[in-house]
Amino acid sequence: MASSKVHAAPILQIENLKRLFGGLAALNGAALEIRENEVLGILGPNGAGKTTLINVIAGIYPPTSGRILFEGRAITNLPAYKLCRLGIGRTFQLAKPLEDLSLAQNVMVGALFGNGGTLKEARRIAEETCEFVGLGDVERGISKLTALEIKKMQIAHALATQPRILFLDEVMAGLNTDETREMIELVRKIHDRGITIGIVEHVMRVIRELTNRVVVLDWGQVIAEGPYQEVSADPLVISAYLGEDA
Amino acid sequence: MKTRNRWILYAFVTALLVTLPYYTGTYLLSVAGTILIYLALALSWDMLLRSGQLSFGIAGFFGIGGYAAVLIFTNAGLNPLISILAGGAVAGVFALIIGTAVLQLRGMYFAIVTLALAEIFRVIIRNLPDLTGGPEGLVLPAAIFSGDSTSTFWLILAVAVTALIASEIFQKSRVFFALTSIRNDEVLARSSGINVFKYLVIVFAVTSAIQGIAGGAYAHVHGFVSPEGSFSLDFALLPMAMALFGGMHTTWGPVLGAVLLGIAAEFLKLQIPYGHLLVYGVIIVIAIILFPKGIVGTISQKLQAR
Repeated sequence: MASSKVHAAPILQIENLKRLFGGLAALNGAALEIRENEVLGILGPNGAGKTTLINVIAGIYPPTSGRILFEGRAITNLPAYKLCRLGIGRTFQLAKPLEDLSLAQNVMVGALFGNGGTLKEARRIAEETCEFVGLGDVERGISKLTALEIKKMQIAHALATQPRILFLDEVMAGLNTDETREMIELVRKIHDRGITIGIVEHVMRVIRELTNRVVVLDWGQVIAEGPYQEVSADPLVISAYLGEDA
Repeated sequence: MKTRNRWILYAFVTALLVTLPYYTGTYLLSVAGTILIYLALALSWDMLLRSGQLSFGIAGFFGIGGYAAVLIFTNAGLNPLISILAGGAVAGVFALIIGTAVLQLRGMYFAIVTLALAEIFRVIIRNLPDLTGGPEGLVLPAAIFSGDSTSTFWLILAVAVTALIASEIFQKSRVFFALTSIRNDEVLARSSGINVFKYLVIVFAVTSAIQGIAGGAYAHVHGFVSPEGSFSLDFALLPMAMALFGGMHTTWGPVLGAVLLGIAAEFLKLQIPYGHLLVYGVIIVIAIILFPKGIVGTISQKLQAR
């Protein structure tokens, strides 16, 4: 089951993670590790716990039980702002622009608080990061941006916090073929900067092209793990996506 | 060029205000003083609103500042100006302690608790007659500056300018980015490395301290404090109306709102002695329909759209 291609040390270890919402176990003993410098695909049918996993890792809400280690250090109950400063970046499934700020100011927020430094430095980082993700005319207001640009801005916002690991939650959703192509290139460029990536995606072409390894979640547990080619042929995974009889 | 024009304008307005006592009578001076007190309150209220937190506690901290200033002045025999600053400090420390608890709440829940706070302060003060004079309040042995209207005006002007400078520091620093992020999307703010709780508590304490200073100055100018007078809901509702009227989330909105509504209120009081509040209310309703983002907000939106 385990992949032998990436042998780097784990940057993030998740042990027996549980998260209950009332009686519903969104995460029910999930265990996985993300290795330094890999691109890990996080798969699973709707409601499997993928977004909850990212939210718990990023400190949006604490786990009910279990343990998370980042670079060997326990970070299980740290608040979101500290986790951000430690180097855990993420985007949101539903884009969350700060609508009263301009494009450049949105990205500046990430640089100012995730990274420290003065307004001037944050401004410089914001401009560089916008250029890196391919966003021009940074003085524009949010209402003037296209859907693709808002997604790129979210990524720039997360990058400006200088993450060591970046979680991308369905950044390709709603994009056309050309835009998806562009976004895949952007993720490659981010990875080339030495940033470890965890990517949740329903577009399988994206997973096939980008990831070294995938984990599959179902009912809050990891049911399969390995290179995409192997995992996609796993009967357990197929039945999770298509139902018992498939 | 543009910034230079702006500085010339600031210098001109400052000079005009500082020299105001030399070419106006005591009546206009007292109207201007009232407007400036409300201006400071409107600004301080807006400064917290920039984080999305709506506080009805203005009157509470205004009253605390007033009582603290008077008590410190009469019991410790300090200089009245220092007692005003001490009143602000007391209000700020109260807000710091209370904020640690109530800023776990958001939105409507926070607003209701702050409304209750002002009332709780009033009831406590009313029921400590040995310290606070109970329902009758406290009268100062002498008004500040022996009632000299020029110095009194300058004192109030200094309070308003303090609020203005604090507001501009908020707008021109990282505080602006933190508060706007918290208002727009708190989850994203937390995920961007912003210690949301710390910012909210500090801003609550700073703005309450400004309200306390305004309350202390008001108490010294009028020479007395009383539970009904110092904690009057007017000190919460009028500044809120001014900030909404002028435009939220900016420095110049509350300033413009305070000046326009302050003048309108005084004018109406003279013209329609028994119905001025009714007309005042209608003006505010119409203005908010015509300028939903306040005067400054709606105008800058129109300018941007061009």
